[in-house]
Amino acid sequence: MKKTGKWILEALLVVIALLFLSPIYIMIVNSFKTRSELYENALALPSSFSFEYYAQAMQKMNFMTAFGNSLFVTLVSLLFIVVLASMTAWMLVRSNNRLSQIIFMVLVSTMLIPFQTLMMPLMQVMGWIGTTLHIPMLNTHGGLIFMNVGFHASMAVFLYHGFIKSVPIALEEAATLDGCSKFGVFWRIVFPMLKTITITVAILDVIMMWNDYLLPSLTLSDKGLRTIPLSTFYFFGEFTIVWNLAMAGLTLSIIPVVIFYFIAQKHIIKGVAEGAVK
Amino acid sequence: MTKIKRFISITITSVMLLTILSACGGNNADKGGSGGDNGSEKLPKISLFQSKVEIADQLESMAKKYKEETGNEIDVWGSAGDNYLTQLQAKLNAGEGPTIFGVQTGAETTKLQSYYYDMSNESYVKNIAPNMEVKIDGKIIGVPTGVEGFGFVYNKALVDPSKITDLASFKAFLEESKAKGINGFSLSQEAYFLIGHILNTPFALQQDPLGFIEKLNKGEVKMADTKEFQEFGQYMEAIRELAKNPLEVTYDKQMGDFATGKTAIVHQGNWSYGMLQDYKDIDAGMMAMPLAGNTKLAVDIPAIWVINNKASADQIKAANAFFEWLYNSETGKNIIVNEFKFIPAMTNIETSNLDPLSQAVSEATVSGNTIPWALTYFPQGIIQNDLAPVAQEFFLTPTMTGDQLLKKLDEVWAKAPKQ
Amino acid sequence: MKAIKNRAWYALFTAPLLLIFSIVVLVPFAIGIYYSFISWDGIPANPKVFVGFDNYVHVFQDDRFMKSAWLTIKFTFLALVIVNIMGLALSLLVTSKLRTSNIARTLFFMPNLIGGLILGYIWKFIFTDVFNYVGENTGMGSIFFNWLLNPDYALYAIAIVFAWQMAGYTMIIYIAGIQGIPDDLMEAAKVDGANAWHKLTKIIFPLLMPSFTICLFLTLSGAFKIFDVNLSLTGGGPINSTEMFAMNIFNEIFGYSRYGIGQAKAILFFVLVAAVTLVQVYITKKREVQM
Repeated sequence: MKKTGKWILEALLVVIALLFLSPIYIMIVNSFKTRSELYENALALPSSFSFEYYAQAMQKMNFMTAFGNSLFVTLVSLLFIVVLASMTAWMLVRSNNRLSQIIFMVLVSTMLIPFQTLMMPLMQVMGWIGTTLHIPMLNTHGGLIFMNVGFHASMAVFLYHGFIKSVPIALEEAATLDGCSKFGVFWRIVFPMLKTITITVAILDVIMMWNDYLLPSLTLSDKGLRTIPLSTFYFFGEFTIVWNLAMAGLTLSIIPVVIFYFIAQKHIIKGVAEGAVK
Repeated sequence: MTKIKRFISITITSVMLLTILSACGGNNADKGGSGGDNGSEKLPKISLFQSKVEIADQLESMAKKYKEETGNEIDVWGSAGDNYLTQLQAKLNAGEGPTIFGVQTGAETTKLQSYYYDMSNESYVKNIAPNMEVKIDGKIIGVPTGVEGFGFVYNKALVDPSKITDLASFKAFLEESKAKGINGFSLSQEAYFLIGHILNTPFALQQDPLGFIEKLNKGEVKMADTKEFQEFGQYMEAIRELAKNPLEVTYDKQMGDFATGKTAIVHQGNWSYGMLQDYKDIDAGMMAMPLAGNTKLAVDIPAIWVINNKASADQIKAANAFFEWLYNSETGKNIIVNEFKFIPAMTNIETSNLDPLSQAVSEATVSGNTIPWALTYFPQGIIQNDLAPVAQEFFLTPTMTGDQLLKKLDEVWAKAPKQ
Repeated sequence: MKAIKNRAWYALFTAPLLLIFSIVVLVPFAIGIYYSFISWDGIPANPKVFVGFDNYVHVFQDDRFMKSAWLTIKFTFLALVIVNIMGLALSLLVTSKLRTSNIARTLFFMPNLIGGLILGYIWKFIFTDVFNYVGENTGMGSIFFNWLLNPDYALYAIAIVFAWQMAGYTMIIYIAGIQGIPDDLMEAAKVDGANAWHKLTKIIFPLLMPSFTICLFLTLSGAFKIFDVNLSLTGGGPINSTEMFAMNIFNEIFGYSRYGIGQAKAILFFVLVAAVTLVQVYITKKREVQM
């Protein structure tokens, strides 16, 4: 009885997964088709699996440069987000006074502001910083990273905030008694225990920053600075898309994230087994 | 202990990254000022920003040629087609606007008019074809990128244009096609292709299209009371009854159906020829929409390139030098015709090797057999925000008459904001 | 002495993030509030005229915006329910020790990666061609027709696509929550002879409260701000039946070039939504179990 139940679950999982994947199937098969082939039947397998559109897309996108740019921007932003947000969230949870509550609520509520209404003032502020303080925020990776941190910080704080509560406070108190400073307590005791949520934050933020088009499109102008989503613009006309190249470009750009996720999720799962011991 | 080590390594990495970051900033900051040490007159680097994704590649190779020939640099920025205006506006707001940028003619040109450098005295505007100059307060403020035209694009194997001359024959053709299992006529679901372009015809056929739009804005006239529009309503009824529902058709599908002979006529422009290239040869032509006896294609300048007057004097000088090269040198002229595939609006550039649709547009231009694009003077955003929803309602409601369509269009037009 | 030291630590831990956050989000938002009182077209060189509360008055008279705001609330509610049920179900499925769990986890995650416009175009194709095809060939034409052309169904179509994209996203957070539940608790429950349902309602759900807070809020904010899918799937149509809040504002700002009115809309809606969600966060946070 129990075994059949398990088999049904397995089967269910596979069916749901396949259903889930159907749009991705459409993306991949159409990265091999000409416009007329796509028009004939978008669902059918392509007549030939030649990778010429991939090669073309890579060449047009200047893929290796764009990949390097994306990697740099995403990882550095992520590093700052993780470090700053985890520290902030911990402080907010542990000193639970009025100020902390207000800060938390402000951080959280700003997540509801549509980016479209922020972008013009944001650009004015960034332009002002550039001309008045002579810190180039626009058309630099540094500026984009700065903005990424600002926009994604609140969600990371929000995620950490919820999970820090499950960290037993007794451990921290013991460490404080042992003469550890707050800094030491946080990095030596607390942060390692936040591994699962750190990886979760990393996954969610990587997806968002890796795929982001709008913000980089406003801030970066130079060709050499383009991230992957920016460099796919060649394929998106006003009324139509160069389907095969766009789909090939998209497939290429999501592969690194899938690999990243595949590795990262193993750590989440392993985290449990270890977590009990610590 | 390992925890401390890990912490130290994290700290070091962050410090290093910070250093890299600031280094990045520094490098970019002084990129612009590297001119001058090249001996001869080297102009500062300028930037060009425009919305036509289809020529993005060609622009980049043009920049290379420009550098080879003159030693000067031009940086081509990129943007996806429907993101252009947002990006341009954002960059202008940041004070980081491009040196040269493209704007659509009509309302968009007016909106951005405080940015235009006065080109009236530059030599490259002298060759702009008569009536193709775009002026504000008597000053020439932009160079037309080229001309474009739209109308009924038809499959020569299926359509004899001499037989479609009025509403009755258009209807007869649709019926005849339907009987043969062919879709006689197709619009498509995108706002401009659904209503914007086809609605242009009754406007353009008015004595004074701009004056008519103004009166319409003030509520002094109504589409529903105007003869050309009334006939337009009947055309739309015929299309709904006798042709495929355009809301089911995307631009891609519209052109695919046309290329494979499933659709006989599409309402499109010469730009759509690029969509046919992946298909087997199809013999296509362009004819006028025969509304109210019209025999003219809608041909106009879709966009102009302007120089940003907020750029430095040196950059403006460099931008002028670039236009001089593009519109007056042999290499430049060759690029416009053979690489951009534009139909030039300049008298000193000769067309060659045009595709059949562009050929039709070019011939109409030369013979003066054209009506203007009145739609570029519609109030901003109205096609997308107000007219398209009404058109959708019309195509989804079989009982709605052409007259009701016009009344509804009048109604939303009256409500829509006007600058 | 100690209090000062504590305050210094507090500042050291929170100030860097808050500084960046303020520059990037708060200051622009404040400028945005200022713009909601002026009449401007968004072009820096063009005049800005102070108009007081005119923009706000205008918003209240804008039937289309009111309709769009109501639609957004409806959509958000729908999305909230579907996304979280799906996300939770998926996370429970993939954390139960099934053979296919590992690979399924990756597969469910993938829809997240297809962002923006392409996503909408792929789904447009599914709703248009695939649905018609299935409807014609199975006789289930009453379910499988082009949803995007029906003003009543188009919103559900967006909800489906949104759920498809977000379910994997919330799944990741739920997985993190489930993995955080100590194994000994589950073991103890097993020893006590608790059945699966009891384990779920008595142990897993209460301990998942932080994840619920987070997921509900993230879905909520995602749904309120939905733009890309809206634009590429329906463009607000047919007949404005799916023009949601962000798109309405976008059209106001970049379509009609009425920047001030667009800002006023954004601020009004923000106040409303923030009030509602902060109450939601406050309530669910109270129910979280501190350890």
